[in-house]
Amino acid sequence: MQPLFRRSVASEAPTVPVSEASAAAPAGPVALPPAVAAAVWRGDALGRPVGTTWPSGFDALDAVLPGGGWPGGALTELLLAQAGTLEFRLAGPLLGRIAAGGARVVLVGPPRPPHAPGLLPHGIPPDALVWVRADTVAERLWATEQLLKAGSCGAVLAWLPQARPEQVRRLQVHAAASAAPALLCRPAVAAHEPSAAPLRLLVQAGPGWALQVQVLKRKGPPLAQALTLSAPPAGLPAVWPARLAEAGRPVADRPVAGRPVVTVPGEAVPAVVRAEVAEYRPTVPVH
Amino acid sequence: MSVLPPHNTAPARHGPATAVRDALPAALWAALAVAPHGRSASDAALQALAVWALQFTPRVTIAEEAVLLEVAASLRLFGGTAALRERLWPGAQELGATALAWAPNALAALALARAGVEDGLRAPLATRLDPLPLGVLSALRPHGQTLSHIGCRTLGDVRRLPRSGLARRFDAALLRALDQAYGHAPQTHEWVALPERFEARLELPHRVDDARALVFGARRLLLQLAAWLAARQQGATAFTLHWAHDALRSRGAGEGGQLTVRTAEPTRAVEHLSRLLAEHLVRVALAAPVGDLRLTADAVHSLPQRSDSWLPDEARGQEPLAQVLERLSARLGAERVLRPRLCADHRPEHAARWQPVGEPLQPGARAVPPPAWPQPALLLAQPQRLPVHQHRPHHHGELQLLLGPHRIESGWWDRGSADAGRASPGASGEAQNTAVAHAAARMGKAADAPLERQGGHAQCPPGPSGCTRHAVRDYWVARSARAGLLWVFQTRLADEPAWYLHGHFA
Repeated sequence: MQPLFRRSVASEAPTVPVSEASAAAPAGPVALPPAVAAAVWRGDALGRPVGTTWPSGFDALDAVLPGGGWPGGALTELLLAQAGTLEFRLAGPLLGRIAAGGARVVLVGPPRPPHAPGLLPHGIPPDALVWVRADTVAERLWATEQLLKAGSCGAVLAWLPQARPEQVRRLQVHAAASAAPALLCRPAVAAHEPSAAPLRLLVQAGPGWALQVQVLKRKGPPLAQALTLSAPPAGLPAVWPARLAEAGRPVADRPVAGRPVVTVPGEAVPAVVRAEVAEYRPTVPVH
Repeated sequence: MSVLPPHNTAPARHGPATAVRDALPAALWAALAVAPHGRSASDAALQALAVWALQFTPRVTIAEEAVLLEVAASLRLFGGTAALRERLWPGAQELGATALAWAPNALAALALARAGVEDGLRAPLATRLDPLPLGVLSALRPHGQTLSHIGCRTLGDVRRLPRSGLARRFDAALLRALDQAYGHAPQTHEWVALPERFEARLELPHRVDDARALVFGARRLLLQLAAWLAARQQGATAFTLHWAHDALRSRGAGEGGQLTVRTAEPTRAVEHLSRLLAEHLVRVALAAPVGDLRLTADAVHSLPQRSDSWLPDEARGQEPLAQVLERLSARLGAERVLRPRLCADHRPEHAARWQPVGEPLQPGARAVPPPAWPQPALLLAQPQRLPVHQHRPHHHGELQLLLGPHRIESGWWDRGSADAGRASPGASGEAQNTAVAHAAARMGKAADAPLERQGGHAQCPPGPSGCTRHAVRDYWVARSARAGLLWVFQTRLADEPAWYLHGHFA
């Protein structure tokens, strides 16, 4: 193998962990001893997380995250245009996995009251859920800090609409002491501010059921293009009709205003009733 | 009262220090002097220190201005002399101890503590005691002048005098004290008994104006409480801090106040208790400066000890989540740190009830089946009425209805004045399933149907029976271009059907 070729392989495949990359290709003029090579993080390879990682439930996302999942013992920022719109669709698999392990998930200051039956499909039973109704910024920061410092909860999901960089840095220091993943939901405008969180994701609603995730910052080379993850709300695919799964795709042909089309679960509603519904709602624009 | 055998042999015969360390004496005494030599200590301070010391050994006695502990039997439990000292000395210092000494018998430990010599174990006891001045043994004090006149300045000088002459010229107490200190004669002790009820008092060194500053004084009392609990193998679930106002107070201030702190689980961790107390004290406003503190244990329960594990514990060094949540509840208020309890109700706003984390679940809470229909992760506290343009609901743009309708008709029995989440007779029996989840099209038939007000949230049937929380709604999963996936409903049986936003599939 030519050294040049090896190097190009390492740079084209950012998903290879650094240990493998350095073992397979001792790139560079000097071959480092194995102990040193393991400790050196090359800028073109994905870094190794300090703590454990949790699979995110999305293969495409796992492939670009250092360690192959959400990092534990570190902050992860989810930057959203509007709080309370996409969080659980993205982080639900993680929270469900943690709740399945018997740990508790603490929500600090969600923008709207959480709905316990709605979190059941994510795999979060009521026993594993704690809602901290902290209203002011100081209270949210304090509560999050206490939870991270103790390090005994399964995961912390905190909404911090206003947090200064030094406050986030303080949280990151405390998060490093615990093993639990800590997710901060912040507004999308915070993307322009510096942040101490090692992982920052800009999350937007994509076409259909998809989520557009842009990795703004990670321990590794920057990722130019956004990821598109198919993330329908948990529990919905179990009951929707097949055509609705397709409806998640970009809708090209919207129904004409005069001819409404009702989308209902096929097994629950006979066709006759469906027609009746359409009759009774001539003005309702459905799908 | 008990008599310990003399135990002079072990240190004296082994000679070198290393040998003494390997073969620990049959008895090991620690002396904690509360006041400097020559001054008397207050009974309260001695008693507090003695009760605190009972967590290390049941054999604790008070001798003049010091507390003496017999700890030979506790060495293995606490991991050796060094580890025991690490636990004993900082705590004792917080409670006012000024000197610590170790010796194979009580009187020697007391003498060493008075002289400021800590270690009486490493060398043979006689070589440690011989250079000490006469005053360290109380029995020698009355004869101090006589002894100094005949040229005796240290214990060694007195010991070298002929015994028969000493016995003839001085009283018997002197020889007995010498023999006891050097380990040639047995000693008797009266052990301190553990009080049945805990109550500790502390006079603050200065007046305290701010309630938050009371924590520093209360911490000393909490240390005693923790030791009292440790000696009884118990943990507290409630304790009360009483404070008495200073004598120079305004007339309307009253005698003082009190604050009861409760914990969910029995505990005796001083750090947790003091932090909890601090959170509660933040919200206390003192009517007058405080000069006196008193701490009582109100509810104690036995606390089983967990065996230590050989394996490295993953959770070591972590604070249990229950304690963190307790702290959050103390600062934010118990009604703001919540956990859900599912209720068998088809109305989404009544399907879960949030209760404080510390409260135990009701015993009658049954397992509630998960909803068959997808429900949003976040629910609005009050349904938000959506504007309708051209007969279409709008929320940050026109809504696209994806899935539905999911009909809910329930709650006719629920009086508006009643407790919102109270289990009602209709909801308790699954057979009376009044919620209808089907997509039927029978609308407008019931002319006598109750009118809907407030977006289907509460209905007032015509008549004198009052309002009920009857909900008749058709739920849809909708998509908004900017607000994501929403859960909206349309009221039925109303004068004018209206659209409401009720949740976010976040």
